[in-house]
Amino acid sequence: MSREDEARLTDRLINGDPSAFRELVEAFKTKVYGLAYEMTRNHTDAEDISQITFMKIHKATGTLKPGLGLRTWVYQITHNSAIDHIRKKAFYPRDAMAPPASARDFHEPADPAAGPEKAAESACLRRRIDEALAGFSAREREAFVLRHYHDLKIKEIAEAMGVSLGAAKSYLFRSLQKLQNELDDTEACPGGGDRT
Amino acid sequence: MNNCRSWRKRFPEAIYGDLDAETRRKMELHLSACGDCAGLYRSMAAAVRKMEARPAPDTARAPEFWEGYWERLEARMALEEARPARETGRTPRRPWMPSWAFGAVGAVLLVSLGILIGRTVLRPRPEIGPLARTTTTATGPGERAALETGSVEPALAARASRYLRRSRVLLLGVINSAPMEEDPFRLNLPHQKKASEELLLEAVVLKNGFRGSDRRLERLVSDLEMILLQIANLASDPEASDIEIIRAGVESRDLLFKINLRETRLPGGRS
Repeated sequence: MSREDEARLTDRLINGDPSAFRELVEAFKTKVYGLAYEMTRNHTDAEDISQITFMKIHKATGTLKPGLGLRTWVYQITHNSAIDHIRKKAFYPRDAMAPPASARDFHEPADPAAGPEKAAESACLRRRIDEALAGFSAREREAFVLRHYHDLKIKEIAEAMGVSLGAAKSYLFRSLQKLQNELDDTEACPGGGDRT
Repeated sequence: MNNCRSWRKRFPEAIYGDLDAETRRKMELHLSACGDCAGLYRSMAAAVRKMEARPAPDTARAPEFWEGYWERLEARMALEEARPARETGRTPRRPWMPSWAFGAVGAVLLVSLGILIGRTVLRPRPEIGPLARTTTTATGPGERAALETGSVEPALAARASRYLRRSRVLLLGVINSAPMEEDPFRLNLPHQKKASEELLLEAVVLKNGFRGSDRRLERLVSDLEMILLQIANLASDPEASDIEIIRAGVESRDLLFKINLRETRLPGGRS
């Protein structure tokens, strides 16, 4: 969805267009789910958070103002919903939480047409990336995910996370530095693990 | 070096194409002249390219999951809307006071009660003996100070004074740092960590030397040890919350005030 489309959708939401909310859900469901997943590392929690987020959005459309970035607003609500969820979940023992994605969800080769060697290399690289992401602090991971998967600019990341611009830059820099350190050792995967 | 730091901070923006043309050109100029920065930039960019191997998490869900998403959301919204109507027996929330405020008021009352009990019931009875001795033996201001400071040997007192001075400088440096606001390269605190380790060793020597001759100074050194240990164990890239814990520890123990006070009393200290 382009920024112009977002602005149009914002206007329709403000004017109470009944179909606008569904359009917003369809446009953002994968994004909201994706961010919630990265913050919780659990698919069930991610769906729960994404639904709560959309319910909050539905109730809060009255507070939406023209000219405000719709996606930043949506991510802000997702961030807050995920934080609430994590705080509630913190009472449960850590072992009760689901394992990270690599072990369960990304076990299949990215491209079945590729040879077994390439597939093994790709799977290995995915596992290492996942391990690297698990080593990020929660805020570093969120900043990185918002930039990498959601294409938010640094100013938007800062707004969505409710931190200063300098802090958002720091989180992003540190996350890239950690990622680089983790993936630098190209010998750890067969074939070097370098897809560049 | 400063130039390198300011450019490195902008690497993520450059890698994701968020820099304007002019800044990009200047950065490329810098990279062509600085091998270290160019190397770091290349490996960071390569790491980001490797991320292509990891699809966004939503792709792990089957298409049916997304097709039924709206229906599930709609059903849940209807359920949530129906809930308040079913729960008619529930006490309505007081709009003038958020729920957390009740917890806060309870905590304040509990603390006040604790202070009241501490001041009235558990208050230690004044001991007449030591007071009388103090008033009779310490007549001049110099003698009173000597009593408070204890009978620490001059060499040990000078060493303690140096220790306190170094600790004060170190604490001020650490608690006034703001990791999230500053240059990420300044967040590594190798000097402070090394100084903390040195001061921890010094604290052991001092405490052995005091042997109960100045209990207040000994307590201050022990309190400082706790904080110095936290600084020495800081991660190389501490979070703001780590610094906040140290700051809270320093403030709750009034360490800077106590150091200043002791420094004015110890020989070789500030006056």
